[in-house]
Amino acid sequence: MKIGILSKRKTMFTGKLKENLENRGFTVKIYTLENLIINENLLNNDFYILKSKNLFFLYAGYYLEANDIPVIPKPEVSFIQKNRIHSNFLMKKIGILTPEIYLGTLETFRSELSEYPYILKPIMGSGSKGVKIIRSNEDFKMVNDKILYLEKYIKGVHYNVYFIDDSICTLIKPPLSDEHVEMKKIDTPDDVEKLIKKWKSYFNGDVLFGHLDIVREEFSDKLYVVDPGSFPEFTNWKCIGSPVDKICNIILNQVEMTRSQNST
Amino acid sequence: MKKIGIIIDKYHLKYKVSEFLKYLRSKADIKIYTEETFLLESSKKDFDENLFFVKGKGDLILALINLIENLTNIPVINSYKGNWLAINRFLNSVVLRRIGIPIPDFSLNPKGSIPPFSDYIIKNIIDQKNYKFKPIVHKENGRLQVADERALNEVDKVDPKYNYLYYQKFIKSKWEYKIYGIGDEIYFYKQIPILINPNKTESRREIERNPELEEYCYKAMEEMDLKLTSLDFLKSKDQFFLTDINCTPNFNYIKNGPKIVADFLLNQAKI
Repeated sequence: MKIGILSKRKTMFTGKLKENLENRGFTVKIYTLENLIINENLLNNDFYILKSKNLFFLYAGYYLEANDIPVIPKPEVSFIQKNRIHSNFLMKKIGILTPEIYLGTLETFRSELSEYPYILKPIMGSGSKGVKIIRSNEDFKMVNDKILYLEKYIKGVHYNVYFIDDSICTLIKPPLSDEHVEMKKIDTPDDVEKLIKKWKSYFNGDVLFGHLDIVREEFSDKLYVVDPGSFPEFTNWKCIGSPVDKICNIILNQVEMTRSQNST
Repeated sequence: MKKIGIIIDKYHLKYKVSEFLKYLRSKADIKIYTEETFLLESSKKDFDENLFFVKGKGDLILALINLIENLTNIPVINSYKGNWLAINRFLNSVVLRRIGIPIPDFSLNPKGSIPPFSDYIIKNIIDQKNYKFKPIVHKENGRLQVADERALNEVDKVDPKYNYLYYQKFIKSKWEYKIYGIGDEIYFYKQIPILINPNKTESRREIERNPELEEYCYKAMEEMDLKLTSLDFLKSKDQFFLTDINCTPNFNYIKNGPKIVADFLLNQAKI
């Protein structure tokens, strides 16, 4: 079987996925933004792994799905998690607490916002890239007429919570840090476990692994999801088993299921 | 009186809707939400409008549609899905071809990578800004290459938005067909293609109903959840090809267009 991986890089978790799948006898090709051309030539592989959520990988995913080539995770599910506006409103709709968000121009923010601090984030993105704390009007140093996205800052304990199938791995992380900093593993609190199950159950089997960035608010003890992630690097996985092995097994099972559904 | 919210940007407000608003104001309570001055707050969703109408494609506009659709029961024309698909050229090409609407061959290539057809037109990938199509035409060894200046600017800047170009196979056509869908009503026009005559209104004329184009228009509107749209077709060897679909059509080109659109919205707004 020929497998394509859509990924911004060839190393790290993507490299491990390739090696793991090749050891199982599959032919694997990685498509980065350097060599990805989205047309019928992509249809030569049997299925694709959507490792990165850059717009062009999502386009490729939608194109492949439209041509009946399985893509895991599904492009729509990845898009929802990539677009912060979409994921925030979706979580609110399904009863998950998320910070209040604000969109407007710099001028609008300067004249209308007062309850600092806020977090400035890119609309499309995940993790800490492009994220900045705004403590006062003075911190809006950029000059542009773009629409900006802010979240209310939630003060509290920050968790990075990985999940693969039924395994949940919870870590305490420094606020606004990326996935790769040193983190301390803790036993997963019951309310965190319930939150992960609620998030997964909304997708009805289409989300079997991923992670959520969660903050336990200091004064209320409530959990707020501040960022979902469809395909982390699992750098800080400190729980039982190899994440690469587990994820390759899940992906191969999902492909098998999709194929049998398509054939019936 | 019905209440209608207009979600719009400054450009459309200034240049495209004066007649429409004048008529609509005589029939309904209107509240304007202008992208450049509105502060979207996710905690504020106590809208009392019966319907929202969207005229713009910016990020805040898309976010506001998303909020209304997810957190209220108020209908929005056009929907988030319709707007999102319409501005993402590659996605709507994929979706519409899948349901059988003829689309010219297309390819998304990194800059410097040649597409698999010789005559092509390069178009912008995300059609979100308010600016006009500016063609740059290049002929060499019998091959025709046309590029939209906007598409090239997006990859040639110091800090490029992205490194990809959308190539669409060039369709040589005597006429360009402009089809407007407003609810169940379809309006048919044709004009000389803009590459031949940049003054598109000069040759524009209304034409008789065409069942084939009508069917394509209905199918596209249903698939993309668009209640209001315009579609561009070219014709080669008796075959129509859909080359563009728009979620914020300029209805001023249709005879009585502003009134037709306003009456349609009033009919859709349920108290």
